[in-house]
Formats: sequence, structure tokens, C-alpha cells
Amino acid sequence: MADSSQTEGSGTQSTTQPFGVPRWVTAIAPVVILGLIIGGFLLTSPFADLGRGDALPDATVEYTTLPNDDTIVAHVTNNGPPIDIAQVHVDEANWQFDVSSPGEDAHLKTGERATVTIPYQWMEGYDYEVVLLTADGVTFGTTIVAAQQTPAVTGALLWDLAVIGFLVGVVPVTLGMFWFPFIQTMRTKWLHAVLAFSAGILGFLIVDAGFEALEVAEEVPTFYAGPLLVVLGIVGALLLVQSVMDWRTDDGDESRLALAYSAALGIGLHNFAEGLAIGGAFALGRTSLGAFLIVGFMAHNITEGPVFVAPLAEGERPSLGHFGALGLLAGAPAIVGGWIGVLTQSPLLIALFLAIGVGALLQVVFDIGALIQDAGSLRSAPNLAGFGIGLIVMYATDLLITL
Amino acid sequence: MTDRQDSVASPAETQQAASFTKDLENRLIDSIKNHEGVSRRAVLGGLALAGGSLITGVGTSTADDDSTLPDETSGFGAPGEYTNQQFDPHGFLREFNTGDATNERDAIFGRKDDLNGGVYEENGQTVREFNFTAINVEQEILPGITFPMWTYNGQVPGPTIRVEEGDLIRVHFTNGSEKMDHTIHPHLRNLNPRMDGVPQNGPGLLKPGESFTYEWQAQPVGTHLYHCHTLPLKAHVHRGLYGTIIVDPKPERVYDNPRKYINYHGPITEEVREMAAERARSRNMVTHAEYSPEGFDGVDEMVMVMNGFDTNFNGDNEVYGVNTRGFCYAPSSTDAYNGEWESSETKHPIQIDRNEIQRVHLVNMIEFDFVNSFHCHSQFFDYYDAGTSLFPDRSTIDTILQCQAQRGVLEFDYSNHQPGLYMFHAHQSEFAELGWMSFFEVN
Repeated sequence: MADSSQTEGSGTQSTTQPFGVPRWVTAIAPVVILGLIIGGFLLTSPFADLGRGDALPDATVEYTTLPNDDTIVAHVTNNGPPIDIAQVHVDEANWQFDVSSPGEDAHLKTGERATVTIPYQWMEGYDYEVVLLTADGVTFGTTIVAAQQTPAVTGALLWDLAVIGFLVGVVPVTLGMFWFPFIQTMRTKWLHAVLAFSAGILGFLIVDAGFEALEVAEEVPTFYAGPLLVVLGIVGALLLVQSVMDWRTDDGDESRLALAYSAALGIGLHNFAEGLAIGGAFALGRTSLGAFLIVGFMAHNITEGPVFVAPLAEGERPSLGHFGALGLLAGAPAIVGGWIGVLTQSPLLIALFLAIGVGALLQVVFDIGALIQDAGSLRSAPNLAGFGIGLIVMYATDLLITL
Repeated sequence: MTDRQDSVASPAETQQAASFTKDLENRLIDSIKNHEGVSRRAVLGGLALAGGSLITGVGTSTADDDSTLPDETSGFGAPGEYTNQQFDPHGFLREFNTGDATNERDAIFGRKDDLNGGVYEENGQTVREFNFTAINVEQEILPGITFPMWTYNGQVPGPTIRVEEGDLIRVHFTNGSEKMDHTIHPHLRNLNPRMDGVPQNGPGLLKPGESFTYEWQAQPVGTHLYHCHTLPLKAHVHRGLYGTIIVDPKPERVYDNPRKYINYHGPITEEVREMAAERARSRNMVTHAEYSPEGFDGVDEMVMVMNGFDTNFNGDNEVYGVNTRGFCYAPSSTDAYNGEWESSETKHPIQIDRNEIQRVHLVNMIEFDFVNSFHCHSQFFDYYDAGTSLFPDRSTIDTILQCQAQRGVLEFDYSNHQPGLYMFHAHQSEFAELGWMSFFEVN
């Protein structure tokens, strides 16, 4: 890279002044001209005849919370032109309400968010249709499915989520790392197959989380362009992790360690998203997180342990402290995810976190591929089989988790 | 807060309001004394209401804090006040136009228009003339929510016309809308097909700016309606082009030929004749405004047009009501856990006098839903379907069902009821909770 930029620098740069003006003038000229055109356009409004009415109102009830037996809270985002929330229906009946927003309460500017508090005696397990009417009579709303009280965020709840996060995140990942001595004794050919198996596991997670991110993105208020945000999150995370990896030296052992850390980070982001899902299920009152589900998560996540220690098998064994750090990096985010998930059900945040995880995992898969490629053939039979088995194992263990 | 009026107005204010009302009453009665076309009863009704809203309107603005929520939950209803001064359902309720009036109309907040065009004789027939104009307006249908209406004379429901059987109703109709064709189609026994107001007959559809004079025979006796018959009907009806025509019976005609006016199949005796004629006098506001049934001070007549509005145009109504504004005849706020309530200027119960007979002309103009209904609490009424019979079609019922364009006369006797609030509403719970919930306050 450095060489080529030097060649470009000496060979193509023109030292003369184009059109006889300083270089900086030519740099800002297009922007200045654009500014003039926009200014003229705004001042003269030459296309006034083309005015065909205003943009249509567009707002979203992102999610609802049920803080107690007598209250429904709708969290609203206005994606379109300014609106006034004039009335509220719950299950086709007018109801009292109170709008709270950063600006003028019931008046929502473009992009403004608000909470609408409705005093309503809801019944556990029933569905409720919440509809907001604007001053024009336009309606937008959502359906609360099988209403359950939103848990108050207490120390006890956070502790429970921490224990669950520890069980589904840190424990299986750490257990998985105990395969390290066994992996170390393997011949290169089989070690590569194990790496390919890891890539298969990650590949499954990429597809799984990718679909989910796009699914959640549908619920993101259109103002934030959810699907595009997911793409941005994936590519952004991929580029960020890649640039961190490139910034490291090319020393073999160190780059393997870096790969291990980036794999642990990617898995950590994935487990973070799992934590979000668990916390979200708590928040929605779907707290049937019985032993079976925790067992399912553990079986699912134990396969993630060898993924980030496998790259370390060939070189010199790093210190045990690194293993501890890797385990925490990969597993502990499940705890944090649980906490955040119970605090907010914002599809915006969830989609973004999922997308970032996908980007990080993609980078890891590319790196594992490069690692195997450097030392031999990527497409050997054991490697392909390992990759396929990784996918199948994840699919099978995924069936154990139904949140 | 057991006595609502004490809580909303000091005795001095109440007295002041009462004397103001009395003044106004006397002045208005003086000014129209010799105007035989105007019903004294209608004027008094309107005044009672104006006085009532003066009293109840004092000091009723609720909670000074930001929150519109009641202290305790169970906050049903549509919060807020009506602000748009386009149409007053409280004035509309008791406004009857006979063709001969001052044209200062309660339904549109006392504004003037030239709806009533005069009453005169022509070829031995009484002609009652009206001026109708179709125009588009925005009308408030729930506090804070407006609906783009197509209207007759800027109001939904359109003006209530009241005539006598045998009159000629002459309507000069101008289509003042900018884009839409309109007509007026009356639900009367009309003998000239040119006057039917459908696309296939007479002038057919009237284009924007065009005018036509409809002439309708005022028959049969009863409570009827008119509406625009331009297609798509669903749009032209739902958007607000409808109103009520009441044809009052002439007692002497009823006496001469009672069979025609009563659903009674026994022998016509002198007693039956006299009963039927008596009923005719009771029902006739145009020429028997002073009539009081035995044992009562008078008759309090009201028009209630059941309607609804599909504000998001998805083929399902978001707002229901009688006379357009949801919850306008209900308390403005309710303290549900203490059984208390408050009125406001734009949302308050209908004030009725227990010494009068209450007669409601009920018309169903709901679109999109198959039926609508009327149910009253702690009360049973007599029902005259389409009002075409002077003897009740159904007696002692508390709920009736109407399809679109079905209408009827309901008569209530509250003389033995204790003063206070009595609810009435559609007994489709959805309609009731979306606005069609009202109250009488018996005084």
C-alpha cells in the first residue's frame, strides 16, 4: 500500500494552477456553486406550480410498555411531517391520554419521539389494539399481543438477568475453551477442519442474526430507515474490526492472538444480542425461561468456545490470562445484553446491535478463511465437511431455543 | 360534589345567568310574536339550552396542570373541548325550519343564512320555500379532529325542515362545490319523477355552479330525510349530504280520515277520531306550537341524526355520534369512582324538563355499518316507525334498531323520574364508546 501511494504521488500530481487559480479554490468551487444554486432555488421557488400537496403523515408506535395494571404506555416516533395527536382509541373505544414529548406535548415535529400514557385496566394475556388519531383523523397504532406487565427494573431483576447471562454466556463459552489442549494435539489437517467447523458455526450465526436484524428493522420507524441502518451496521462493524486487525503487526503469533480476540469480540456481540433477546422476553413478560431453555442456550453456545481458541493451537500457547479475557469478552456481553434488553424494546437499538454483531462475525470468518488458506488448501474435504457440520450443529442446537 | 351546579357556578352567577336568560327570552318572544311560522316552542327550547349552557359553562375548565388525565384511572371518553365554531349540535337539536323564520339559526351558532325563503299560498296550496347550497367545509367531529365534509348549507346534518302535510316544499338548490356533482333526493311520496333527485330523472346531477328548484309534495305525515343521490353514494352520504324533513299532520284531516293515519284496524268510533286528532295536534309544531298534552306543560322536540365518520378512509368509522360531534351530549369529564361529572360549554347533557313530553325524531344515516340503534337507561318509550302512524307501532321498549335511512319518532315521559342524569346510547358498544353516548339531564 505504502509503495503504490508513493508512485501515485510523484507521477500524477499536477503542480500547475488549473485555470490559473489556487488549488483550494478548485477544491471548494463545486460546493460554492451548489450553494448558489440552492440559494437561488429557495429564493425564487421556480417550481411552485409543481406543488402537489404535502407529504403524507407517517408515524409509528415503536413499542408499548405496561408499567402497572392500570396503564398502557405507547412509545411513538413521527416519521413524517408534523402531526398533532388528537385522540386515542384502545380496542375501538375513545380513551383519556397524556402525551409527553420533548417539544410541545401533543405536537410532534418530524423525527420527534413521544410517550402516550393511557389509563386503562388491561387484562393479562389479552390483546389490545392501541390507535392514535391525528387532527386530520389519520390513524396509526399497534397491537399489544398477550399483555404482560413490564417488569420494574430492580436490583433483583438485574441480578437474575446477570445469573442467566452468566449461565448462557460465560459458562458454555469457557467450557468450550477446555477443548484447547485437545485441539493443540491435532494434526494441521484436522486442526484446519476444526477451524472450518468454527467458521461454519459463525456462518450460521451470521445468517441467523442477519435475518433477525432485517426482521427487526421492519419495526424500526421509517424515519431511521431501518434496513439501511442494518446494512450500515454490518459493513461498518466489518470495516472497523478489519482495520483494527490490520493495525496489528504481521507477527504470526500476535496476529493469531488478534484473530482470537476479534473472534471472541464477534461472538461476544452475538451473545450480547442473545442477551438482548432474553431481556426483551423478560420485558414482554415471556419469562418462561425454564431450565430447558438455559440448557438449550448452553448447548448452543458451548460450540463457540473452540471457535476463538482454535487459531491459537498452532503457535506458542499464550498466557492463561488471555484465555480468561477471551472467555469474558465472548461470554459476559450476554449479561449486559440482558440488562439493556429489559430496559428498552426499541427495535432501533436491537437491529443496530444485531447488525454490528453480524459485521464482526463476517470479519472473523474472512480471517479464519485466510488463516487456513495461508497454510494449505481451503477447499479440502475435511475443511468443507467441518464447515458443513458447524452449520448443522448450530441449526440443531438452535431448535432447542424458542424464545 | 353532589350538586353539580353549585360546584360550577356561584349562586350569584346562576342568578345572573337566569335573569339574562329571562331577558333574552322576553325580547325574542316579543320580536317574533306575530310571526306565525316560528314556533314558540322551538324558540323556548333553544333558550332553555342557551341558559343551561351559560350556567353549566361557567368555570368548568378542568385541571390547571399539564396532564389531561383524571386522578384515578378508568379514563374512558374523548378528552378535550370542541373549538371549531362551524356547527353547534346543541343548537341544531331543537332547530326546526318552516320556511318562515328569522334565518338566524342555532345550528350554526346563531349565524344568519338564507335557508328559509318564505311561506305563501299558491293555487290553494301552502308553499314553503328553502334555499339550499352544497358547499365543502371542515367540521370538528371529536375534540381536535376535523373531517372534510360535503354539506348542505355548511352543516352536517343538513338543516331540519318542518312542514305540514299537503304543503309544497320548494327548494332552490345550488351546487356550490368546486368539483363534485350533487343532488337532493327526498324520502317523500313524491308524484313527479323529475323531482326525485337521482341521475336518471329531471335535471339529473347538478354540476358545480348549477342550480335547480326541486318541488316536493309534503306527504306522508312523519319524520323523513333527504340526501344526495350522486354516485358513489357511499361517499356522498358518508361525507355529510343528508338532513331531516318532518311532515306534521293536520288535525282536521286526521279527524276526517283517521284510517290513513293510524295503524288501527278496529271500528272508527268518535272516540278513535278524537284520539287520532288529539295525537295530530300533539305532533303538529308548525301550527299547534302552543299545544300541551294533558298533564304536561308542553312538548320538547329534538332531532337526532345518528352518523359516523371514517376519518382514515379505510371503510370503517372512527367516530360515531348523534348530530356529528362525538360525546357532545355527554359530560365533559367524569369522576368515575365517585359517580360525579362536570359539564363544559361544548360537551354537556341535554337539559330536559320533566313536566314536558320529550319527542325525539331519530334518523339513522350511518354508513359502512349495517345498523345503528338507540337505547335509553331507566326509561321505556313509544316508537313510531318513520312517524307515519299517530298511534305507536311499538310501546314500552327501551331499545330500537334502525338500518340506514330508517327513522322514527320516540316519545318519552320523565315526569316520575327523579332529577339527574339518564344515559342513552347506541347499543353497539363500539359505537357508544367511539362517540355515540349521550345523556338527558332531567330537571
